[in-house]
Amino acid sequence: MKTEFNDPLSYYKHLTLFWTDLMYLMANKPASLLSAGPMRNFATNIKKISSEIIEANDDLVEFNTKFLDYYKQLSDTWSEAQKKVNEKIPAIPNDAERLETYKRIWIDIFETDFTELFDSGKFGENYGKLVASELELTKHWNNIMSVLLQSANLPNRDEIDDVYKQLHDLRRKVAKIESDLQQKGEQNGK
Amino acid sequence: MANELKIDPRLVEEFLNFSKNIAEAPKLVAAPDEMILETTPHDVAYTEDKVRLLHYKPLTSTQNKVPLVIAYAIINRHHILDIHPKKSWVRNLLEQGIDVYMIDWGSPTNIDKYLDMDDYVNVYLDHCVDFVKHESGTDNVSLQGYCTGGTLAAIYAALHPKNVKNLVATAPVIDGWKDTTVVSNIAKHVDVEKMVKTIGNMPPEFMYYCFSILKPFEQGLEKYINFFRNIHDENYVDNFLRVEKWLGDTPPIPGELFKQWIKDIYQDNLLIQNKMYVGGKQISLKNITMPLFTQVAVGDHLVSPECSMPLHYAVGSEDKTLRMYPTGHVGMIASSLSQKKVLTELGQWLKERS
Repeated sequence: MKTEFNDPLSYYKHLTLFWTDLMYLMANKPASLLSAGPMRNFATNIKKISSEIIEANDDLVEFNTKFLDYYKQLSDTWSEAQKKVNEKIPAIPNDAERLETYKRIWIDIFETDFTELFDSGKFGENYGKLVASELELTKHWNNIMSVLLQSANLPNRDEIDDVYKQLHDLRRKVAKIESDLQQKGEQNGK
Repeated sequence: MANELKIDPRLVEEFLNFSKNIAEAPKLVAAPDEMILETTPHDVAYTEDKVRLLHYKPLTSTQNKVPLVIAYAIINRHHILDIHPKKSWVRNLLEQGIDVYMIDWGSPTNIDKYLDMDDYVNVYLDHCVDFVKHESGTDNVSLQGYCTGGTLAAIYAALHPKNVKNLVATAPVIDGWKDTTVVSNIAKHVDVEKMVKTIGNMPPEFMYYCFSILKPFEQGLEKYINFFRNIHDENYVDNFLRVEKWLGDTPPIPGELFKQWIKDIYQDNLLIQNKMYVGGKQISLKNITMPLFTQVAVGDHLVSPECSMPLHYAVGSEDKTLRMYPTGHVGMIASSLSQKKVLTELGQWLKERS
């Protein structure tokens, strides 16, 4: 079967998966002799790490795009605000208060312009997308950590979350039982 | 010389003084970590998980019969309500003869990520109110909530109206769509589902980001310049560092609580439409029929007045008061104005109804 690729990223993805798959298959039989232990687990899971890294690269591109948009919004606002400040400079009296007056004008204009930016829908929208793409990267990192922890026979995040959830439910049940007991005690006391 | 640079000697003097102040600062002021923020004596009356109920020691020989329970916000810690002996919200109320309790929600950790609005309202807050009722021998309490605590208090009052004799909502977050602050702009656009699933609790860094875009040049630059300029003014410095320490102490918010908060209040705006559910029960603000006192600050850039005021019009109470103060979110609770005006009016209002 011959494969064709339209872009370098797809080719890179294919190449990485091809070699990790092949190496896994080639090493599988001798490695299976050591059927327990972290190295065996790690060998089994290495493909998952490769996949996560490849997908993280895709998401890194998205993150960088949003990050550039974010900084463009900040730098455009900065330039516009500085222009407004520059227009006001000639009107500032040349006295001992000049520096203080300049500072006041600078802060007022920058504060107004940046607050307007932060209040705007375009800022909120891009910021939301920026955070979402950062969270995508975090998700890949979490997944890689899960593989490593699993390889070391340690509980991963999902397993710990299950424990947290069960503890939370138990805490609720205990609180309810205590509350019911207290109410019954008060009723009996009356 | 034609190219001679002329600099006003007063500017040079000011620059030198400013540099001297920076150099002397460590000798003159305590490090924020060395400062203790809890100023008014109190006992820890009740604890549950990480939540503490503080009971303040009386400062008058007689006290109002109905105690006041303050539900602090879920953002930052309760210390701002007792930040400085001369600007303490709690101390002022104690001096007016009010028996004050305050809920400190503590600092949640990963194990608390599944705590939700139901836990905060129907477990922690309800148990604190039950404890106070039992300890003080009353059938109900006055309940005050500040900021997001105001929302929790309003939800509690709607679900448990018999337990609340009077409700005080100080800058409550009620109508998310009407909020015009930068915080609400961020809240409306963030994928909170993904954030909670990926990270768990709301990280403090996210909150720091929201704070940093609120008046970034005044708050991020000018206030520090003023701090060093006033480094020899003991009161100024003490007050500044206390508030700074409070601002920097932002605990995480439990993931499930944060998710419901952002979705139901800011994104879908369910509370004001009486469509929000907590613990399986629909919240109707019309169930709030006890006396209500709503306090808003005209210059509030964290919770805009348009977001808080709808509570006044949405409740079923006949006895209701709305007050607007010419100050900001923190100024309303920890300033000279709050001591002279806001708390005087609140104390009077509570005494007339307790």
